Formats: sequence, structure tokens, C-alpha cells
Amino acid sequence: MNALVRRTSCVIGLLAMICMPVRAEVMQSRQTEAARIVHAADAFLATLDAKQRGSVMFAFDDAKQRVRWSNLPTEMVRRAGLSMGELSEAQRSAAMALVSSALSRRGFEKVEQIMEGDERLRTNERARQMFGKDLFYISILGTPSETDPWMVQFGGHHLALNITIAGEHGVLTPTLTGAQPALYQVDGKTVRPLGQESDKAFALLNALDEGQRKQAILNYRVADLVLGPGMDGKTIQPEGLKGSAMNAQQRAMLLDLISEWAGIVNDQFAAARMAEIKADLDDTWFAWSGPIDHEAGKNGKAYYRIQGPKLVIEYAPQRLGGDLTMHVHTMYRDPTNDYGKRYTGK
Amino acid sequence: MKSRLAVIIAVVLLWVGTPAFAHRLDEYLQATTISLGTDRIAVRVCLTPGVDVFRAVLADIDADGDGVISEAERQAYARRVLHDLSLTLDGNRLPLRLVSSTFATIEEMKEGLGDIVLNVDAEVPPGGANRTLVFENQHQSRIAVYMVNCLLPDDPDIRVIAQSRNYEQSFYQLDYVQAGIRSTPPTPAPKSASWSTFRLFLGADGLVVFGWLAFLWQRRRAGRT
Repeated sequence: MNALVRRTSCVIGLLAMICMPVRAEVMQSRQTEAARIVHAADAFLATLDAKQRGSVMFAFDDAKQRVRWSNLPTEMVRRAGLSMGELSEAQRSAAMALVSSALSRRGFEKVEQIMEGDERLRTNERARQMFGKDLFYISILGTPSETDPWMVQFGGHHLALNITIAGEHGVLTPTLTGAQPALYQVDGKTVRPLGQESDKAFALLNALDEGQRKQAILNYRVADLVLGPGMDGKTIQPEGLKGSAMNAQQRAMLLDLISEWAGIVNDQFAAARMAEIKADLDDTWFAWSGPIDHEAGKNGKAYYRIQGPKLVIEYAPQRLGGDLTMHVHTMYRDPTNDYGKRYTGK
Repeated sequence: MKSRLAVIIAVVLLWVGTPAFAHRLDEYLQATTISLGTDRIAVRVCLTPGVDVFRAVLADIDADGDGVISEAERQAYARRVLHDLSLTLDGNRLPLRLVSSTFATIEEMKEGLGDIVLNVDAEVPPGGANRTLVFENQHQSRIAVYMVNCLLPDDPDIRVIAQSRNYEQSFYQLDYVQAGIRSTPPTPAPKSASWSTFRLFLGADGLVVFGWLAFLWQRRRAGRT
């Protein structure tokens, strides 16, 4: 018996020794992500004077500041915090470094392209004072910490990033992205800030068979975001084609499309989020309203929605400006975890 | 001739150069959400006039044309909107009651940024388990863009079966099942039921393994002695 006990203990001990370093590595990597963002936040705050720090910092449970975001220009819906235009070059670069630390490479590129698009509006539109990179605001809710929850908000016209960091967890919902112009040139190269969101959706739609399309395509017009700003905590009855009715390839395409939003946040946080979304894929719906074809290299004119138990994504082309392909608003939510409430209890 | 051409070009340029603001222009967006309860149906209508249709909407609200929306004018406008809405359950029209209303300022609405929000409710009359709700909105149909959605019911006794709309979303039908009043304790969710069963098996398995180990130990001890 002693030999049996010894042998069992050895096996258990061996298994524990194999598993522990892997777990420790994962934990360390996640903690490193949080530490990296905290470090970037501290570095940004260190560049500010006392008055600026007072303007940029809010209590973590400041409910008014939490919901002070919109698709509209900041002149129409006032934001709080510090605008990029108020900051010196060094402060501005520290602020952008903080935003970048919480995002993936592609996510940060998307943010830069949305801001560049707004800069185009500043130079091309008559009401230029309403637009431009200077009018994007940063704010911090709570105290940057590797253990306690806190938030970074960054946004302006067509952008609202709400990033909650709670220890090893990083949550990006609710987040709004938009683009106008949705296509422009930089040094002869075409830039489409939210082009993949359109192209991948059309690819998925085209991969559906006739019966699936019948279910996915709604027979009515959707003029705007249903769960846009001001609709926190609301969830609508899902419609369209269910993930469980898709084949493996279509499900992979759906996941890839979702990653355009879930992958804005840094890779570590995105991996956890994608795993969660993948687990719910059977109960995730894809619904489409509007034209089913589009001009190659341009955004489509159709609205679509992806909705799962822990996910709402909406893509809504806008008529304003006269061309639906050139102006779009999108919304990304987790009705069970907006502002990281699952981890923070707030 | 040249000067006339210059004027035309200037007008065209001015028109083309009109800022493509991010607010609504030539539509009157009317977004409705319906919340189902066993005793009450709550309806929230959010109306956002676009810049180009604001005058027409304001004329309907500001009856005396003094540029100020008085409380009486708010109430009257809310009543007019309610008059253009219809909510029926199982074919019976339900009286709508205005619970509250908020109006943005004229300045905000002028910019296409202001909302009028009407919170309305209706009592649910007794009926069978299978229910059919129909919501119709005809308010300012010439300039309106409608949206209507049902919120996921909080009450687990209510389950949405089907939704249908016309293209404009001025007509919306919702079929749902409403379970009766709970007379028995709630049935555990299938997930927890299967977990309980699993734990039961786990416990039984544990006992078998423990018994088997005890038997082996006894045999070894017997062998030694």
C-alpha cells in the first residue's frame, strides 16, 4: 500500500510540476500586460501638471463620465478629460502611448486611421472647427493599478474606446468606431479605416447558401444603430441566421469578422474575449439589411448585426454626406460585461 | 454671361461644400423599443428630427409659434404621437398611457441632435399562453424613418417566438409565449440539473473507488500476516 501511495503521490506531483509553470507563465504574461498599461498610464500622468491631472482623472464609479461618449463631434456632445489639442507634443505622445499599450497593433492603426479621417474633414469641410485630431479626448477613471479596476477612455468624433482593466482582465466594451470619409488616400495609398468590417461581412454573406441567406437577410430597412450611445444595458431579441446553422468554414469567417472589433484590444485580452465568443458561437446570430453586393474596394451600403449571448456588433452605413459607402458607424457591446461590470461589480 | 456663370459655380460649390455633419438631415427618426412584462408592456419611443425636417416638426409641436415649447405644448404633442401609435394584443387594442416625456431644447433639435423621448405603457389583459402583439406607428409618415425592436424579456416566463415587420418598420408583429403564474417552485435550469447529476455520479464513483482501494489494502494486509 505504501508503494501505491508513493506512486500516486509521485504521479500527482509530476503532473503538478508540469502544469504549474504553464499556468504561472500565462498569469505572468497577463500581469505583464496589465503592468505595461499601468506603466504607460503612470508615464502619461507624470507629464501632466496638477491642474491637468485634475482634468484627466475621474472616480472609477463616475457614472456621468462613463457614459460621456458619442459618435457625434465633441462640439455637439461635449467630452471631458484632456483633448489632444490641449497637450504639448510630449504629453500627446505619452497619451497616445497609453492608448497604444492597451490595443493591438491593428487596433491602434484603426484608431489612427479614424483620427486621420476626421483630420480630412477638418481640412475639407466648412465647419472645420468641429473636426480634427486635436478634438480627441483622453480620460482615466480610477487609479491605474495592476490589481484594482480602472478605465481609460479615448475618443471624439466617430470614436469611443472604453477600456476597463481589472487585474488580468481587459474589456473593450462598449466601443464605438466610425469613419467619414470611409475611404481616403495617403501618399497615393488607399486607406479604409473600417474596410475589413465591410469586406469580411460581404465575404461571409457570399459564403452562405440560398436557404441560409433567406434567414440572414431581414426584409426591412434598418436606418441606424439600434444599440448605439445611450442604450447601455439594453439587449434586443436576436434575428437572422444562427451560428449553429452555419458550417465550419462559415463559422470561421464569422469569427474572423468579429475579430475586427474583439481584436482592437491588445492580443492577450483579445484572446480571452475571442475564446468566450467562440464558446457562444452556436447561439450567435448574423442579420443583414440592405444591398447584397458592393463595389470592390469600397464599403457596402448594407446594415448588419452580429448578436450572441455576450456580444452585440452593429455596422450601420450613414446617409449623411450623401454617400452610404463613405460614412459608417459601428457599435461593439457585451451586454453582460459593458464597462467590465462582470469583473468590477459596477 | 461670365458673371452669371460665376454665380452658378459659386452656388454649386457652396452646396457641395455643405458640411456633412454627423447628425440627421432629412429624416424624422423614430426608434421604438418594446419591453414585455406579464402585467405590463412598456414602450419607449425616441424621436429625432433631422435638420431639414426640424421646421415641420417644430410647427407641429410649437402650436402658438412663439419659439418656446411650453409644458402644455409638450403634453399635446405627446398625445398626438400616442394617437398615431397603435398597440394591439391578440387583436384587442390596448389603451396607451404616457408615463413620462423628455424634450431636448429647440437649439439641440435644430442641429439634428435633440431627442424627444416618450415612455408609454399599457396593461396586459388576461389571455392564453400564446400571444400576438402588433405595434404600428404612423406618426409623420411622410418624413419618418421607423425602427422597432423588442428588448429581451427579463421575465423567464416570457419567450419570443417570432417577429415580423414591413419594410419601413411602421408595422411590427411579435408572437410570444407567456407562461402562467408560477404555482410550483421554479424548475432548475437544465445546466444545473446536469451538473447535479454529474456530481451525484462523481460521488458514487468516488465511493466505488474508495471501496476498491480499501479492499486492496485489506487483501495486502491479509497477505502479509
